Amino acid sequence: MAHAAVPSRVEGGIKRHQQAASRSASESRGRSLPLLVGVGVMFLIILGMLAAAKSTGLLTEANLLYLTLIFYAAAAALYVSFGVTGAERSALFARLATAAGLLANTLAAGHRWYAAGHPPFSSVYEMLLSFVWTLAALTVLIEWRYGVKVIGSVTLPLATLGVILMQLLPSAVRPLVPALQSTWLHIHVTLAMLAYAACAVSFALAMMFLIQDKLRTETFLISTTALLMTIYLGIAARFDRSGGLRVAAWDPGEGREIFYAEKSPLFVIIPNLGWIFFLVLAAVMVPLGLALWARWNRGTTLDSDDRGFPWANRAFFVSTLVQALGLFALVVRARAGLYPPAQAVPVEGFFATSLAASPFLLAGILGGLFASLLYLLLVWRREGLERMLPSPEVLDRLTYKTIGIAFPLLTLMIAAGAYWANRTWGSYWSWDPKETWALITWLVYAGYLHLRLVRGWRGRRAAYFAILGFAIVLFTFFGVTYLLPGLHAYS
Amino acid sequence: MRSVPGPKPNLYEKTAFWHPGRIYATFCSIRTGIVLLILLGLAAAAGTLVLQRPLTDPEQLGRAYAPETLRWLDALGLTDVFHSWWFAGLLTLLSVNIVLASVERLPTAWRYVSRPYRRPEPHFLAGLRLQKEIPIRSEDSSMEAAAQVFRQMGLKPQRVPRAAEGSGETASGSSSASLYAEQHRLSRLAPYVVHASLLLIIAGGMADALWGYRGYLALTQSQQSNQIELRDASRKALPFSIRCESAGRENYPDGSPRRWWSQLSVVEGGREVKKKQVEVNDPLVHRGIRFYQSGYGSTGEVSAIQLRASLKSDPQQAREIVLRPGETLPLDAQTSVSLAAFLPDFILNGTQIENHSPELNNPAIQLVVRSGKSGEAAVWLFPRFPNFARTDASPYAFAVGDIQIGYFTGLQVSHEPGQWAVWAGVILMGLGLAMAFYFVHGRFWAVPVSDGRGRLVLWVGASASKNRDEFEERFHKLVERIENRLQGAAEEASGLSKGTRGRASRGDGKQAEGASVAAPARISSQFSS
Repeated sequence: MAHAAVPSRVEGGIKRHQQAASRSASESRGRSLPLLVGVGVMFLIILGMLAAAKSTGLLTEANLLYLTLIFYAAAAALYVSFGVTGAERSALFARLATAAGLLANTLAAGHRWYAAGHPPFSSVYEMLLSFVWTLAALTVLIEWRYGVKVIGSVTLPLATLGVILMQLLPSAVRPLVPALQSTWLHIHVTLAMLAYAACAVSFALAMMFLIQDKLRTETFLISTTALLMTIYLGIAARFDRSGGLRVAAWDPGEGREIFYAEKSPLFVIIPNLGWIFFLVLAAVMVPLGLALWARWNRGTTLDSDDRGFPWANRAFFVSTLVQALGLFALVVRARAGLYPPAQAVPVEGFFATSLAASPFLLAGILGGLFASLLYLLLVWRREGLERMLPSPEVLDRLTYKTIGIAFPLLTLMIAAGAYWANRTWGSYWSWDPKETWALITWLVYAGYLHLRLVRGWRGRRAAYFAILGFAIVLFTFFGVTYLLPGLHAYS
Repeated sequence: MRSVPGPKPNLYEKTAFWHPGRIYATFCSIRTGIVLLILLGLAAAAGTLVLQRPLTDPEQLGRAYAPETLRWLDALGLTDVFHSWWFAGLLTLLSVNIVLASVERLPTAWRYVSRPYRRPEPHFLAGLRLQKEIPIRSEDSSMEAAAQVFRQMGLKPQRVPRAAEGSGETASGSSSASLYAEQHRLSRLAPYVVHASLLLIIAGGMADALWGYRGYLALTQSQQSNQIELRDASRKALPFSIRCESAGRENYPDGSPRRWWSQLSVVEGGREVKKKQVEVNDPLVHRGIRFYQSGYGSTGEVSAIQLRASLKSDPQQAREIVLRPGETLPLDAQTSVSLAAFLPDFILNGTQIENHSPELNNPAIQLVVRSGKSGEAAVWLFPRFPNFARTDASPYAFAVGDIQIGYFTGLQVSHEPGQWAVWAGVILMGLGLAMAFYFVHGRFWAVPVSDGRGRLVLWVGASASKNRDEFEERFHKLVERIENRLQGAAEEASGLSKGTRGRASRGDGKQAEGASVAAPARISSQFSS
């Protein structure tokens, strides 16, 4: 039933939506958006051609990656426009663009593999390459098998983000240190990528479930702003007393970070940037405060109106613009200029920095912007989205199924990692932070499965659990590498 | 799996908390299991957020925490979470919970495996969610049709003879039976397989924590030793010795290491019993004790220096010598040279020459030249800075060639007697999870009964352990096919009754022919109504 019914239901929803759209006044808007997207895509393709023509070889990895970026960005835009307008044609082109992007991505990964002589899993850059590939492949699979079209509007922007990050990361093929020369490592990392991608998909499905389950939009507002606040509080931790922002120094000649001693990267202070990010933090906290205030008020006053929430949404829109401004400032300041070191170090002088030196900072900002845009999409087009998404029952079941795929993969990933560690360091388990957090992820999903299978947890509670699981996956993937040191220093 | 019957904790809800029944019920409840999982997760998270003693040096701990805080953290075991008694306690409690919960639930699951429910009773038929009644005209033909459809859908139908008291209900007097088919029966046991594997892994891990050890052994070339240094800096004697025959390192062109290797021999009772080249990712195993290549470094001691000595007065007159420490080599009848000092990696600290590391990065060599004419002279040589020459009284000038320094190989030693239980557990868990997630226990029944109004119907029912929706789709397909087949047979039969005999020679021809005699008129009226 699940296979057959979902597409028809979705298509039915779309038809209904199209009829509704043709009746409503938003008809012209529904047509102009795909047009705009089309123009944008053409522009990107022309830019890509120019870039390719300038470089020496045509089928180099950089060009292939650029092509991947263009197609994924196009697919993301088309999927989002499908999410907004529900135009079936957008979804069709989005699918074509995804397929083309996946092809380019496969070629890029293959090229990398060939050039490096080992599968592309050994650095952050190579792992992103594989992760993005898995994400796109899963999207294609889920759309083809289950007919959930709108999933692309979450996964493809994520994939685009990944490719953008890859453009900034050092991509030179580095020789493998001896510990990384093992087939088991490749198995371990492949499984990790597959498991994490499945977790990401289950997260997206759980969010869609919450939309279909009529979770209040303001709850999404509060959780989104809380996430943004966490991100910008993390960035504000890099605030310097002089009002600058501390970022890692970068050696443009070597294409790597500068270390002034072993394991001690050099930081530089970009003046005044700290204040800008404080401003962003404040801008993000305003809608959160307004939403919380409105929610608290509704409970107490009799003539409870929800006037607070529209204001919170307006403030949210403004905060999104301020976030974009913060990103712009970071990009501009990081690209140009030499800055004084932040530590008392034996070396003197001024140093350059680069976006590539702070991948996590950038990932945080871009991720925050992405979440903000998704929320705005929800605010503006909730009804359309609801018509287009599969029923809550289908989404609930699909969430469970993706976790049913992710959990065995997580188990095997941990096992392969343990086996590799045993061969390399003589111990299958040494409780280093990455291992421990992988275990915690495993425990959370084990808890989800028990609650669902034995205690019959369904619906919202299960969806919250799936979201918690993905939050912990994110922490394991980024947080541990960034915040906690350990053996996994290679990745 | 909503319907998995659990224990009955409610039975003891009213009793005192020390009541054995209630304690038992608490221990085998899933709620206790979830709470333990959460506690374990929190403890593990704490173990990554607080600096751990085994992974950090004491100085760093002292810098990170105030003495008072550190005392509290130590007392609570938070500086070594994964070796603390309460972490082991949590794991033990979880194991007990897993064992008891499995013991409590296993009999129910086992019943599915040991005693397949082939002959459904009326109350079961009535309560099943997936069921359908198909009007039929005779038992035998419908059973045959159903059996064929079962086979078509990859099921193996079993013919179950009807119980004695049921025979009275059937309309015709032919042999009364029902059909039963099932798939992946063993998947009912999957959760217990996963739980057993988890217990194996925990047991293996605990065995390693109790009886295993890890240590370090550093050997220079042709050195032999059986003394390893353990984590806590104590020493342990192995029952055999390891000798390092040779060791080496290969680099990538950019200088980063590509490969380390050591040629090791195991010496037991004075005899060499095993030889192996150890590399990173490829250890030597002897008597359950494993030796891993973990490091390779310079001892900082020189073994030979190649020098070219030329007379300052006549640079054409030169000779090559190889100088070793403690050796005095004659340069001519009156002059001899010996090595006074060697620094592999010197730095200038003011006017002092100091050594920085044991690596051969920036060597400094001090020679003593004794000459009958000019007496004793100290000569400093800096091969990386050949122009940085000092004036000295030596009649000879020296140019440095190849420098050979001593190397040692660093070996991690580990003994983990429980690791086989861990790997067995991992494999078992993989199998169990595959069973649990990718195989559904599906059961199908087809029973000819007479419905409430006395009509003969084929009751078809099915139940699945999970994935109910996909299973439902499958069930509907099964029912549809049986209906089609019966309808086809009925149409054929009615065609036969009109006189067009001879077509009834297909797969089910025999049955159709037999059935056509029964009551074709009744059937056609049944389908038209």
